Amino acid sequence: MLESDIRSIFKCVRCGACRSVCPVFEEIGWESSGARGRMLVALGVSQGLDVSSSVFESLNTCTTCGLCRQICPAGADPTGVVENLRHQLVLKGKMTDSQFNLHKKITSSSNSLGEVLDRKMWLGERINEVGKTADYVYFVGCLGAYRYPEIAALTFDLLKQFDVTLLPYEVCCGSPLIRTGFDADDLIAHNIEQIRIVGAHTVITGCAGCYNTLKNDYPKMFDVMHVSEFLSEHLSDLKLKRLELTVTYHDGCHLGRCNGVLEAPREVIKAICNLKEMKTNGENARCCGGGGGVRSGYPALSLLLAKKRLAEVPEGIDYIVTSCPLCLKNLTEGGSDTDVIDLVELVAFAMEQ
Amino acid sequence: MEIIKELQYIVGSKLVTTEPSELYCYSSDASQILGMPEYVVRPENTEQVSRILKLTNKHGIAVTPRGAGTGLAGGAVALSGGVVLDLSGMNRILEVDIDNLQVAVEPGVVHAKLNEALKPHGFFFPPDPGSSDMCTLGGLIANRGSGMRSVKYGTIKNYVLDLEVVMANGTVINTGSRTLKSSAGYDLTALMVGSEGTLGVITKALMKIHPLPKSRIVLLASFEDAEMAGRAVVKVIAGGIVPSACEILDRMTIEVLNAYDLKTPLPDAETILLFEVDGTESGVQEEAEMVKSICRSFVSSIRIAADEKEIDEIWTARRLVGAAISRLDPQMTRVYVGEDIGVPIKEIPNMLKRLSSISEKSGLKIMTYGHIGDGNLHTGMCIDVFDEEQWKRLNQAADEIHRTALMLGGTVSAEHGIGSARGEYMRLERGLALGVIAAVKHALDPKGILNPGKLGI
Repeated sequence: MLESDIRSIFKCVRCGACRSVCPVFEEIGWESSGARGRMLVALGVSQGLDVSSSVFESLNTCTTCGLCRQICPAGADPTGVVENLRHQLVLKGKMTDSQFNLHKKITSSSNSLGEVLDRKMWLGERINEVGKTADYVYFVGCLGAYRYPEIAALTFDLLKQFDVTLLPYEVCCGSPLIRTGFDADDLIAHNIEQIRIVGAHTVITGCAGCYNTLKNDYPKMFDVMHVSEFLSEHLSDLKLKRLELTVTYHDGCHLGRCNGVLEAPREVIKAICNLKEMKTNGENARCCGGGGGVRSGYPALSLLLAKKRLAEVPEGIDYIVTSCPLCLKNLTEGGSDTDVIDLVELVAFAMEQ
Repeated sequence: MEIIKELQYIVGSKLVTTEPSELYCYSSDASQILGMPEYVVRPENTEQVSRILKLTNKHGIAVTPRGAGTGLAGGAVALSGGVVLDLSGMNRILEVDIDNLQVAVEPGVVHAKLNEALKPHGFFFPPDPGSSDMCTLGGLIANRGSGMRSVKYGTIKNYVLDLEVVMANGTVINTGSRTLKSSAGYDLTALMVGSEGTLGVITKALMKIHPLPKSRIVLLASFEDAEMAGRAVVKVIAGGIVPSACEILDRMTIEVLNAYDLKTPLPDAETILLFEVDGTESGVQEEAEMVKSICRSFVSSIRIAADEKEIDEIWTARRLVGAAISRLDPQMTRVYVGEDIGVPIKEIPNMLKRLSSISEKSGLKIMTYGHIGDGNLHTGMCIDVFDEEQWKRLNQAADEIHRTALMLGGTVSAEHGIGSARGEYMRLERGLALGVIAAVKHALDPKGILNPGKLGI
């Protein structure tokens, strides 16, 4: 293990503050399923503790939501330690079947879903409206391209009026690989080359995972914006009409808490309708359970986490709005009584005909 | 039958483990004490606890009860292997009885959750540990804990009316009753409070609750040195004012708190006293004026916190300051040793002076903060945990802090407990009474299975 990780583990004074916020610990209840326990497991591994299936369960059930890091009074970074240890173990060839399969799927199909179809099918007739070069490029993401084509289309329709284009051959940003301990160098190199071809100085994404990865795991060669940030800067151009709706907003962890994109989506929502916050929100928002490889590795746990998040939805709202397709998917499948929609869908409702 | 099979039979296979990585997670609390259990069991009810103790007593297997493992003295660490009994899953609030001003809880209820549940009724549970968000009530009771409000509201011992306790042989008893007072024989409730799991396992607690005060005011008083602050506290209390909190923060603590992003930074001072007075609106105004006027001849400045928001912010940051000290320097980690002394309040200025000379002698900065109104001072020391020599100086300083407190007629632990971290001082502090403590322990747990190696016995 890296010395910086060992130092980070020793920052933890084992006060247990993270027990009160870790959503996974709340479900599982064993010490190893919370941030403090994971720090201890990491310490144990550094001291020769056998890397058993329980060690993987401790490390891999972390959604990397970062709430423990956010509230840690001692300034420790359990999320970083978990991600780094996953990486160290993968480097030694130690991983779960689920991790192995995810890696195989992504490296063979260049998307996180193992889809073999054309990534741009969602474009349909719009294929002719895609510019070859532009300053701004919309990074669609795997979920946008394959699971939420209508949201991808709405987003592109909104952005293209501002001369935003697409990458000629986009592949997965690498987020699922990096969060589960793998390198994503090939995917990153491919996407960088695509961005270079388009000549864009800014990449716009509608996904929290893509945003986090493009911003923090790619070389600092371009700016990264979330769709909400781009839209909030162009509110006056959008000619939005006011809707008699009240919505709540779910912050994707990797967008809000981890990267500070908190105000932009709220500005867009407030320009359209009323916003009623969830019980925890902003940088303290509870995780939907979708991230960090938990959705693919521990689907039942992931849905339990989604249900807990849904229990924080306030009364009397028309929609749950989010800015991340993975959150949208997880909250929907978690059994939301209220429709969960993407921010661009709300914007589309409010666009003057 | 194998022990593991029997444990699985009692609680179900999902609630017992011998998995090395899980045992590793249960091998420590927030202290420096380590001990590897052989089994961790998470019982869900009293009957299961009783059956587990019958089993372990029969086989002479050690049992270490544990709440959230937030203790600072190794109380929940298994020193003799055996079973760690993780009670944090027994976390139901069983009854909120407003008419009788009582609440019944299971031991795993987290302190803050109880106050959340009481707030809508206009009530609260006054003992107020810094670890409120994570510590369990069972642990708080077993360590006779308290917190910032004990100067006015007392410690947890003033609130427990009755405990359901599983004794070493599995017998389930109740120690008290629903009445506010009782003369019916030995006060077994008081015996169990602070017994650190050495006499029985608490499975239920009936406790008094208190109406929320209508109003409160917090005063921030700055002093040129800690001794002046100590003198001011003695004067305020002697002046007939019982603050609901009276906290001291030294320069280093102030720096840590200000690094915690307080919206309104604390004043730049050597020492700050935070006085809180609560009660009726007119009462708190009058008391705040009195505190101001008594402090006038000691302070360099004094002001009243602007509003409830600032008060909440100050107290939230204060609760977490113990761990937050590690933020000052990325190479340094807070180590909890010698952190919980208590002295008679008139000795506070003296103790503060001696702490500063211990700091000078050891070459270690000692952050001092705590519940000065009841004589309880927390000392915080930070070291580079990779430096053996700093560990040596740290432990020497802690030893000196403990011995100094005892010399001044104080205690080595005012609210965190003895565990095994402070066991060696029990003879010094309790003298011949330690023999009586050992005799009680032997009478109730003849095989010595309950949390062995704690309390210096």
